[in-house]
Amino acid sequence: MKISRLPLATLETSAVARRVRRKPKSYWALRIGAGILVFYIVVALLSLVWTPYDPLTPGIGDGYDAPSLAFPLGTDRLGADMLSRLMAGARYDLGISLTAVAIALTVGTSIGTISGYYGGKIDIAILRGVEIFQAFPGLLFAMLVVQAVGPGITNVILVLSFVGIPDYLRLARAEIHAKRHWQYAEAARMVGNPPWRVAFRHLLPNSIGPVLAFTSINAAFSALITASLGFLGLGLGPNTPEWGSMIARGQDGVMTGQWWVSFFPGLAIMGLTGGFYLLGDALSDLTDPRRRQ
Amino acid sequence: MVLGRMILRRLLWVFPVAFGVVTLTFFMARVFNGDPTELYVPPEATDALRAQIRARLGLADPLPQQYIHYLLDLLRFDLGTSFTTGQSVASDLWDRLPATLELGLIGLSLGIAVGIPLGVIAAVYRERWPDFLVRGVTLGGMALPQFWVGLVLISIFFVTLRVLPGPVGRLPIGVPLPPRFTGFLLFDTLLAGDPALWWQAVRQLALPALTLGFSTASPIARVTRSAMVEAMQSDYIRTAIAMGHGRRVVWFRYCLRNALLPVVTLIGGVAGHIFAGAVLLESIFAWPGLGQYALQSIERSDFAALQGFVIYASLLYVLAFLIVDLLYMFIDPRIRA
Repeated sequence: MKISRLPLATLETSAVARRVRRKPKSYWALRIGAGILVFYIVVALLSLVWTPYDPLTPGIGDGYDAPSLAFPLGTDRLGADMLSRLMAGARYDLGISLTAVAIALTVGTSIGTISGYYGGKIDIAILRGVEIFQAFPGLLFAMLVVQAVGPGITNVILVLSFVGIPDYLRLARAEIHAKRHWQYAEAARMVGNPPWRVAFRHLLPNSIGPVLAFTSINAAFSALITASLGFLGLGLGPNTPEWGSMIARGQDGVMTGQWWVSFFPGLAIMGLTGGFYLLGDALSDLTDPRRRQ
Repeated sequence: MVLGRMILRRLLWVFPVAFGVVTLTFFMARVFNGDPTELYVPPEATDALRAQIRARLGLADPLPQQYIHYLLDLLRFDLGTSFTTGQSVASDLWDRLPATLELGLIGLSLGIAVGIPLGVIAAVYRERWPDFLVRGVTLGGMALPQFWVGLVLISIFFVTLRVLPGPVGRLPIGVPLPPRFTGFLLFDTLLAGDPALWWQAVRQLALPALTLGFSTASPIARVTRSAMVEAMQSDYIRTAIAMGHGRRVVWFRYCLRNALLPVVTLIGGVAGHIFAGAVLLESIFAWPGLGQYALQSIERSDFAALQGFVIYASLLYVLAFLIVDLLYMFIDPRIRA
């Protein structure tokens, strides 16, 4: 039986290292990131019951109204209120990226756990398949599929989660594969746990840290791709107040000086993805002992 | 010898990747998109004409037969003919390659030239204001959609300040391209002996290259910073400082070199993406590169063009990682052994 010395060795070095370097530092990033995310969730929920104007009704203003007291962020070419549309947009961009990430996380981690635990030929086959799939540019894949099956929330979510699966698979697989012969796994096997239970109940919870930290980065990426698809007109259909398609709608205005139609949705995207990135950075600092300084 | 075998193995890995990617694209495009004949026939066409056009587009045969045909053509390095341009896909790609490469090279160089020093500065002034500034700006750079940054730059420099030209491609409208030697306008204009044209090309290139540089510099700076921070805390750096080496020498000669490995990996991945054509960036700036070609081929169900592009992109991906591995050996003598 193979008994790894790795856990003991890491413990020793990190104990020494921690004495020198330990300094809590990720908490502010964690707080800001989580705060931003909560803000977006609140706005998204609020938009269900209240927005200043109806986000889908054009002609409230005269069209291209500059930001003013009546319209804090101006109106777009058709005279729909930008603030209301931005608020409603939070539902779409946030909802789509969170759902896509949840699906990718579940599916990718499960396949990765199985692949890493059993190893052998299935493992190699899965890894090779993933490598081929990852040679395919992600945005292009999403464009191809959405163009083909048509716009719509479900389609965008499914495509995004599909693009995310390989990364989770690789992360989970690497962790499980490295740990499957550690002592606690051997012990769990020895007392008679079936393989799936060792893999999912014993190994997975001990390996999930890096995977969870990645979900945040992945959510940021998903939000950016959602916006990109929307910008290309491949997202959710013409009048949906999704931030990427709002930027596309304002593109003509940019050339003639009405910058606000494209400008504010971009800020909204930056806030959301930036919040996700901050959170992801903080989480990976906290979960990865090598980065815990 | 070991090196040669490794390169060979990596290069051979191109074939299964390309094969898998081609098969995936081939069936995905056809199964999802169905029959694109309608896009290419006049609406008043008779059924006979439709069938004739379908046959000419090579869509009349059963799917497996089309697939085998395509693979056999590939073995002869024939990528097929584009429905849209009517030219061979290989020559289409060849025509558009320089535009993408030129923009990508300039943008990537900008990103590296700005990103690595920023990362070093942030690491040296860790947890002080230069660090927070760099981290804030680069966080923004990663969180902003590239197409939005492009639009904002257009809005500032073209619409408001009027100092740079609008997004109309590689040269102002109506200005003919110089004769092609390298395909890179920055060289070809000079070879044609036309410095005024060179300046026009530079001005057209400025905004898209800036956009690309900004969004490339951000992740590079962040990775450089965290690798530098790690290296600066290591024992050999403390020893070097204790032995009386100047801080600058230690930072740039020892730290940076040890911190470069993850940075090089990142740059490899980024380069693979950039040279496969920044689709949205090219579409904003009307840049006639590969990204636009791919976008167009998706919109028009141009199968051969799409497959050709995907083969190119996957080759690039494999190549980028091969180069990264070779650079590793150059940077890290331990791997060379």
